[in-house]
Amino acid sequence: MKKTRLAAIAAAALVAAPVAAANWAVMAPNQPAAVAGSTMTVTPRTPWNRATHKIGPKAEAWTQDGFTLNELDFMAGIGPGEALVKERNKKDKPLPKFSATMTPPDIVQMFEATDRILLNTSLFEIDKVEPAKLGSRDGFRFEYHYVVQDDEVRRKGEARAAVVGGKLYMINYSAPAIHYYDTGIDEVRAIMDGARL
Amino acid sequence: MTRRGRLAAALLAAACVSLAAAGPASAADSPKSKLQALEPGAPPPWTPGYQPLDKDEKGLWMEADEAERTVKASNFVVHDEALNAYIRSVLCRTVGDDRCHAARIYVIRTPFMNASMAPNGMMQVWTGLLLRVRDEAQLAAVLGHEFGHFEHRDTLRQFRDLKSKTGAMAWLSFLPYGVGLIAQFAVIGGAFEYSRDMERDADIEGLRFMTRGGYSPRAAPTVWTQFRAEQDATAVARQQKSRKDKNGGFFATHPNSAERVQYLTHAAQGIPNPPTRFGETEYRAAMANWWAPLIDDQVKLNDFGGTEFLLSSLARDNWTAELLYARGELYRSRGAPGDFDKAAGFYRQALDQGSTLPELRRGLGLALIRAGHPEDGRKALKDYLAMKPDAVDAKMMAMLAGGE
Repeated sequence: MKKTRLAAIAAAALVAAPVAAANWAVMAPNQPAAVAGSTMTVTPRTPWNRATHKIGPKAEAWTQDGFTLNELDFMAGIGPGEALVKERNKKDKPLPKFSATMTPPDIVQMFEATDRILLNTSLFEIDKVEPAKLGSRDGFRFEYHYVVQDDEVRRKGEARAAVVGGKLYMINYSAPAIHYYDTGIDEVRAIMDGARL
Repeated sequence: MTRRGRLAAALLAAACVSLAAAGPASAADSPKSKLQALEPGAPPPWTPGYQPLDKDEKGLWMEADEAERTVKASNFVVHDEALNAYIRSVLCRTVGDDRCHAARIYVIRTPFMNASMAPNGMMQVWTGLLLRVRDEAQLAAVLGHEFGHFEHRDTLRQFRDLKSKTGAMAWLSFLPYGVGLIAQFAVIGGAFEYSRDMERDADIEGLRFMTRGGYSPRAAPTVWTQFRAEQDATAVARQQKSRKDKNGGFFATHPNSAERVQYLTHAAQGIPNPPTRFGETEYRAAMANWWAPLIDDQVKLNDFGGTEFLLSSLARDNWTAELLYARGELYRSRGAPGDFDKAAGFYRQALDQGSTLPELRRGLGLALIRAGHPEDGRKALKDYLAMKPDAVDAKMMAMLAGGE
């Protein structure tokens, strides 16, 4: 089973319910789109495909060429006590939960643990954390790289996040380090810069 | 599921990786599925130049060879020569030089507790196992157990048993030895099993090997008492019922860990004049460079109870700066009421021991900020930045520390 990041969850759903999960919605270029059932809107430059199967109650994932090649996640309005994405195995593999008092490094740590747990990987490293804006909001950005078992492709990721009104908003991009990450990152950064929340 | 397909997935449930405490059911438990004996007089598979004897065994070897090619190229293989040489030395001491040459050992970076040995001699040792065994004798018990499966050609026996029930279809991808199995292992929460009888036999064979190699057989049941205690600790912190005796339904081929403790203890007690070597000092020395990264892998699993148990058993009564740092990180990442103050206390104890690890200041700063002591927290973060100006999070920390 090839897995990337959070789309791993969608992939699990594909195995269980292939018909229900195999739907996509095209996100038209230059059209503002509200994401993850929230008030956050983003405007892509080029067409993207949104998986209609959400990766969490407050999260959705987009791709251009399939989740193994590029994945753009939106997590919007995550409240205290909530995980970034849906918990598939609450009992044995509970995910870390957000708290409004978290500092940016705490949120990065929560993100890293979430990915390690979901992807069963120990090869995950944070490469950079620094202040940045998500849209017009003060927040932070971070970069990371990782490998998933049974896939072995080296992947890179970059995320932007901000806490607004005690809730967490995050846009996360990940793709294979070779070719795909570099191909997509400029537009992704523009999407992050232009997010409205 | 890509490569293995649906049938293979079903067969996985009855296949091989063998150490975990609970595993899915196989028909091999039923009375009608007596496993076939191997050909009498067949040479043991560790014989130099050994070749698979028939088409079943050849097929298994081919699959294992293919899996090994994948494993060999995996990013998850730990290439530390000293660590690999050490594990090999323990295996050789355990099973003897005449046998151990047949094993090709791969240390796999993954936080779960397991080891396996494929019919072609590929042995996998997962780092989650290395974090959990406390001494050389416990490691010997596990390596001896896996070698026992290899020596008895249990995969072949199990395969023939399955094939007799499922027909030629069973040829599709039988062996679960790829690194990718880790993901499935973790998802299912158990492992892929030999029959109960084979597991018991391998346990006893492992005990025999380790005793012959000069290790105290008392270490064998201890592997399982520790694992049971860890499962209890995980459950308590999660306010769940412990999984230690879970051994029914779909997860049922292994003797459960309580049973294992019982028969291993009994068998160990029956060994006259048992050796007394545990090799704890040697084990700790061999693992010295690996505690920090492996503990870090564990801390990030969001398993507070299990991790606290592991840290305490690593520490016994000697909380080193390294362990205190990990404990601080564990409490800080849980963030329950009082955890930030406790975390700050652990970081400070480590600093009092004279540790110069910059991350102690980082953890202390973040813990103090969240514990409601922002001034002290910012000071600790400034200290961190002074010690590690090129840290990956330097700019973020500079802002939290008061902006430079």
